[in-house]
Amino acid sequence: MNMAATPTTNPSQLLPLELVDKCIGSRIHIVMKTDKEIVGTLLGFDDFVNMVLEDVTEFEITPEGRRITKLDQILLNGNNITMLIPGGEGPEV
Amino acid sequence: MLAKSNKEKENNRVTSATDARGFDWWNTSGVTVSLPCHTANMADKEKKKKESIFDLSKYIDKPIRVKFQGGREASGVLKGFDPLLNLVLDGTIEYMRDPDDQLKLTEDTRQLGLVVCRGTSVVLICPQDGMEAIPNPFVQQQDG
Repeated sequence: MNMAATPTTNPSQLLPLELVDKCIGSRIHIVMKTDKEIVGTLLGFDDFVNMVLEDVTEFEITPEGRRITKLDQILLNGNNITMLIPGGEGPEV
Repeated sequence: MLAKSNKEKENNRVTSATDARGFDWWNTSGVTVSLPCHTANMADKEKKKKESIFDLSKYIDKPIRVKFQGGREASGVLKGFDPLLNLVLDGTIEYMRDPDDQLKLTEDTRQLGLVVCRGTSVVLICPQDGMEAIPNPFVQQQDG
């Protein structure tokens, strides 16, 4: 991954994609731009933060309920990802 | 391969079209020539490459408020960022905006902890104490 040079950033700070990288192998909670959330085990991601997840549960927030439990790995399109929460377990419903 | 076929199409369209300076615009000789103005633009672009117009390092370890595409809002302490505006926030609180909520943010909040925010989704960043709610200035009083 090509990191652009930023003379202004402090090198000892925490880079966002480094934090995501540390999360590989553990549970992660993804919040989309819409009212959808995904919880799964992070297998990997790319420069565009498209994500490969396993043992995935999909949540729809407004209709109040869990939707689909999927397994066997999904590729989540990074286009609509808003937040990534390492170790998150998802909404409390 | 694709580029070649496009050039062939161009060559078939116009047999010859040279301007006053004798510049062969349609490239009938089949040789690729880069236009002078094009290369000047490329040089400019390279100079301006990754200059950020705003320095977020001022806000490190400070509480900030972030708004996202899709109406979500969050606030937290800024722990890190990158030039693409991905953020790391700690102690994040998310404010949800429901249709009945309008902008009453205090109703539906949830604690998220350490969060990475996608820069592609961020629309606004401001300090936590940098904004306050005011009565709607655009509401017209019905004086009849």
